[in-house]
Amino acid sequence: MHALEIRNLSKSFGSLKAVDDVSFEVHEGSIFGLIGRNGAGKTTTIRMMMNIYMPDSGEVFLRGNRIGPEIKNIVGYLPEERGLYPKMKVLETLLFFAEIKGKKSKDLTKKAKDYLERFDLADRINSKIEELSKGNQQKIQFIISIFHDPEIIMLDEPFSGLDPINTNLLKEIVLENKRQGKIIILSTHLMDFAEKMCDHLAMIDHGRIILHGALSDIKSKYSPKNVSLNYEGDISFLNNHAIIDNISDFGNNTGIRIKEAGQTQELLRLLVEHNIKVKSFVTNDISLQEIFVELAGKHPAEEMNHA
Amino acid sequence: MPNYKTLAIIKMELHEKLMSKSFISMTIIMPVIMLGIMGMQSLIVLYQGDKGSHVEILTESDSLKAEFQNGFAELDFVKNATYRLGFDTVSRENLKGYIQNKKPELLSHKLNAIIFIPSKALEDKQMEYYSNTPGNITILEKLKDPINEVLIEQYFSTKNLSEKEIIFARKGVNFSHFKVSEKDEMQEQGLGNTIIALVLTFMIYMSLIFSGTMTMQSVQKEKSNKIVEVLLSSVSSRELMTGKIIGVTITSIAQMIIWILPVLALKSTSWFVLPGKMTIDISYGHLIYFLINFLLAVLIYQGLFATVGAIFDNHQDAQTAVMPIIMLLLIPLFIAMSMMRNPNNPLAVISSFVPFATLIVMPARFALVDMPVWQLGISILINIATLSAIFPLAGKIYSVGILRVGKKPTWNEVVRWLKYNY
Repeated sequence: MHALEIRNLSKSFGSLKAVDDVSFEVHEGSIFGLIGRNGAGKTTTIRMMMNIYMPDSGEVFLRGNRIGPEIKNIVGYLPEERGLYPKMKVLETLLFFAEIKGKKSKDLTKKAKDYLERFDLADRINSKIEELSKGNQQKIQFIISIFHDPEIIMLDEPFSGLDPINTNLLKEIVLENKRQGKIIILSTHLMDFAEKMCDHLAMIDHGRIILHGALSDIKSKYSPKNVSLNYEGDISFLNNHAIIDNISDFGNNTGIRIKEAGQTQELLRLLVEHNIKVKSFVTNDISLQEIFVELAGKHPAEEMNHA
Repeated sequence: MPNYKTLAIIKMELHEKLMSKSFISMTIIMPVIMLGIMGMQSLIVLYQGDKGSHVEILTESDSLKAEFQNGFAELDFVKNATYRLGFDTVSRENLKGYIQNKKPELLSHKLNAIIFIPSKALEDKQMEYYSNTPGNITILEKLKDPINEVLIEQYFSTKNLSEKEIIFARKGVNFSHFKVSEKDEMQEQGLGNTIIALVLTFMIYMSLIFSGTMTMQSVQKEKSNKIVEVLLSSVSSRELMTGKIIGVTITSIAQMIIWILPVLALKSTSWFVLPGKMTIDISYGHLIYFLINFLLAVLIYQGLFATVGAIFDNHQDAQTAVMPIIMLLLIPLFIAMSMMRNPNNPLAVISSFVPFATLIVMPARFALVDMPVWQLGISILINIATLSAIFPLAGKIYSVGILRVGKKPTWNEVVRWLKYNY
């Protein structure tokens, strides 16, 4: 039995089909990535999984049981767009959001203090939210999503706007929760993070799932004939070369797809011949980004910039 | 029945509204503003600006002139020098020349008016009034009655009548107002109830506008701040809206009770002795009905205001869209005001049974007119029906609107939201 099972979810808003027959499973104790461009249908899917939206059709099962409104009590949600009550104090905020999850006890204040300590916010416990910096507000928002000890943690673009130190802290806590057996769903358009953190993922584009499964399976399925290259020099001679199928340049890293599996040695020889300084040359490796480009036909990063 | 989630929202609303400094200041300041507006209005209307008026009264004979001089000497506005009066005699033939002479003074307003009282006025009371601004009725309003009294006295003085008869002739008519009701004894009724009705109507109106606007802003802020995203991962939109509205309703009722405490004090204690003209005939039944009606009014209008707040993500759009709701409050207010002159006017009677309008018109009618209790019952039933009709719709629009961002929706789209499956 899967921890969460999403079966044939569809949702339209007027004439717009936001989510179209989406199905995937989330495994116990793993981090699940829901990836796709902005507007692909991630947030709508997540909202249906939390019973905020009623699906037009389809169902969501939690450990075999159809979900209802009670799922809200065991879910912790960090929405992409952050927002808190500006006039409320930090401690009040944490306790209020715990209370509407049905958590109310004396220990919560102590627990709040522990979390604030961990996020280096202990001295701000009685500050108003509006007095905190944006980064600190974001940390509060993250604490809210895990404070009531939820079984399912849904994080929508959790790392956006965080500095490297806090990003690491967040990652650490997410992994800690994973070890405790929590179901973690990470929604992001940043393929990099998804690739580093997720065990399973589903790619969504124009409301449809275009790929899903374990990250390792997906990679091994798409990686043959693919070389991940890090280099210095000019490789433009490879464009339109007979053995090359496709080149995806990501700046520091370049993904090269060759036409036949046996042509990797040939590619390496060409690079050496043209005096390219090869820093790394990994065969049978592919980035999530490349897979996405191949499937969705568009560059997610580019889309992002134009959004 | 509200569950613990709704209760948590109610608690937060109360914490934010009822326990806030702004509640205390609004509760005190609002009546002050209200009385200020009402007081200012009557001050402006009553302000005559006739202080220092200079008027000449011309007669054709010295004897008549002397009568006017004597008769006017005792008038308050002459004694305290608000008016400066001059007396002179001039014949009908010379009047034109006299006025010609005075023209510069009349034009420069050093002299405000000349009143010519010919001897013939003792037969037909026909007089002439010369001024640069003959449309100004303030001076005439003030002098009309004293002139009439002098003429009457003069007329009857040759008729050999007793003082008593002359006093009778001088008197105007005067009514005492008695309310005939189902009660056994007839009571003399003064202006008290009219004033109370006016004040209560105004209080309902102001309270609904203020609390409604506050709700609308707080909903709209939650939406534009995106707090609602987190809230809805914990509570349903119905629980959220219900909690909010109940919180505001409790706050408004508390405020209203504080406001009507003085009325209660006037009614139940003898600390304040009201002059006979101002006696208040309001029963506890009136006050209970008033509070029930107010409770329904707050619920209904909060629903409307919250819905508008949820539809729009920016303040300006919401402000524009809320105009029809304000009209829904303003028109009944005007109708209620029209009742102060004639409580039985048909517009008021009809609108006291029209949804929305009845919330404001009926309590005013109840204070002014004796009406059968069944009519109040019908009004309450109409309100409950209104409430149960708009709440499902408002809740639906709220739940769709609150998570919707981007382009400003048209009313057509909003109507289409009603069909969404949320």
